[in-house]
Amino acid sequence: MGWAEPQLGNGSADLLSTGRREIGLFSPFRMGLNNGAEINVNKFLLFPSVSYKSEMSQFRRWKMAYRIQVAYPTMAMRWLQSPIGMKLGEPDMFALISPEFTIPQMASVYGELMGTIGTASDEQLSINGGISIGLNGKELVQRATVDLPIIYPRLSVYYNGILIKIGGEYYRKFKGRWSYIMDYDMFLMPGGDGRFAFEQKGLLIWTKSRKFKFLFGYKLVAGEYPYGSQAHLFPAMDFQFGW
Amino acid sequence: MIKRIHSLKTIILFGIIFTSCDPIVHEFNDIEDAVMYRANIIKDVSAQDTIKVMTWNIRFGVARLRFFGDGCGDRVIMTNSEVVEGLEGIAEKIKQENPDILFIQEADVQSKKTGYIDQAQWLLDHTDFNYGAYGSMWESQIILADGLGRVNTGNLILSKWKLENAERYQLPLRGDQDALTQFFYLRRNVIKAKVAMPGKSFFVVNTHLTAFATDDTKQKHIDGFKSILDGISAEGAYFIAGGDLNEIPPNASKMDYCLDDQCEGESFHSGGETEHKEGSYFEPEITWLSSLFNNYTPAIPLDVYGAHEMGHFTHSPDNKLQLDRKLDYLWTNTLWLNGMTHQEATNLSDHIPVSALWVIP
Repeated sequence: MGWAEPQLGNGSADLLSTGRREIGLFSPFRMGLNNGAEINVNKFLLFPSVSYKSEMSQFRRWKMAYRIQVAYPTMAMRWLQSPIGMKLGEPDMFALISPEFTIPQMASVYGELMGTIGTASDEQLSINGGISIGLNGKELVQRATVDLPIIYPRLSVYYNGILIKIGGEYYRKFKGRWSYIMDYDMFLMPGGDGRFAFEQKGLLIWTKSRKFKFLFGYKLVAGEYPYGSQAHLFPAMDFQFGW
Repeated sequence: MIKRIHSLKTIILFGIIFTSCDPIVHEFNDIEDAVMYRANIIKDVSAQDTIKVMTWNIRFGVARLRFFGDGCGDRVIMTNSEVVEGLEGIAEKIKQENPDILFIQEADVQSKKTGYIDQAQWLLDHTDFNYGAYGSMWESQIILADGLGRVNTGNLILSKWKLENAERYQLPLRGDQDALTQFFYLRRNVIKAKVAMPGKSFFVVNTHLTAFATDDTKQKHIDGFKSILDGISAEGAYFIAGGDLNEIPPNASKMDYCLDDQCEGESFHSGGETEHKEGSYFEPEITWLSSLFNNYTPAIPLDVYGAHEMGHFTHSPDNKLQLDRKLDYLWTNTLWLNGMTHQEATNLSDHIPVSALWVIP
């Protein structure tokens, strides 16, 4: 059941069965717990985040769940100031944030509700929404933003203090090992120079077995940044493993 | 029929998606249209017999702040108020000098390092100019170094009269860089436009040549700039041209600035005369501007410069207010009157303006 729900979307109220584990090349580690819950850990050590997802009472025909996530971005953002350790005055290759800024100790807490109707063995529709709150030891200057798609909305909570996310996804199994997922996320960033971002993803999924599946497709991002609005289209893919 | 409509919808959807996506780095064609600007309020300006022409590298409006990229500083992303203050100083000087044509180098257009201000539009709206033509020399959605982020900086021609047929001419890329660095690096250019003054017309040409190339790229840039001027002359037309050529005059008495430009922790000439700071050693290229001096008229002639070099210096790097070399020039294929080097403006940029009067033939 958990395997049928493609992890890359992970916006549904479905939970992994007890003891089942999943991990993807570009997606976090998940493990089903025995109390109708699952735990989710980001494997990128410089940006540690942990989330706990638990089922709730069903609402009419909708399965419901909530998720609480805590993230600590400070190490990752400091690393982005000098990824290969060059000193100021020399080209700080690959730096996305200027080394002149001080990145303070920060954390964020994200709470999300999600509802799913339908079954993963046929088709299902999920909607979700949540709020993230940023907790900063010291104010982070707005000029230190990374004005790039995908990154900008996700880090905005540390600059603005709040982020609202609303989304949905549609999953359908259509032929043999093949299924697809279409999802949509909207980020609202009150107080930021860029106020919103939309992300839409379409993925074809090839499921070999309960142990492996391959996902590929596209991701379209349209949003407002400090310089204005822009759209980007990216290829998307993932290899996911379960046991 | 429904299937056909669905196919059409798919094609349109994908068309919209793909056309909405810009390349990471703008690479430019050999010749392409310049980006045209217009002031929010157009001021009425009649035709004139003599006009004032000025050239100025404005250092993207950050005055003498210690930017990391062109001096010994450590600043990368300036505050909005710092940039506006710098631009206000430049606009005030422009209004005081009141040129009719202005060649600007290093104007930023929505770059992260300067608060995403469109400086071309800002200058048009805060001076008496009406029209502008812009050609970027560095346009990238992201520069993966020092947190620079989005960059768009280049050459700008401002005019009180309408500009026509404005074109951006690509100059050769630096030949002394690896392919990856070259891809993300500056793409120097020349901007040419025709000024549509009622009853008269003439060409205006602006450029900013390489500063740090250690091979013959600068020679190629000078040749490229001159060939555009030659083309205008060959048509029997008249031009005024200017820019930051990053080259000292052929009769300059000092050619080695390595020790003057040395930053803390740097060392030059300690291991022999072959060690030089990029952009600070002019001896091998001292004659490269001779072809321009031999064929066209400078606003500051060589004998005038040679008689009082210090009075015609136009640049000093970083936050050093003592100007120490001449890099900025005005040229024509007719004659200049009253060429001036505005050394009183040394705190407004790391270059200062050069102006002259030009009698329209």
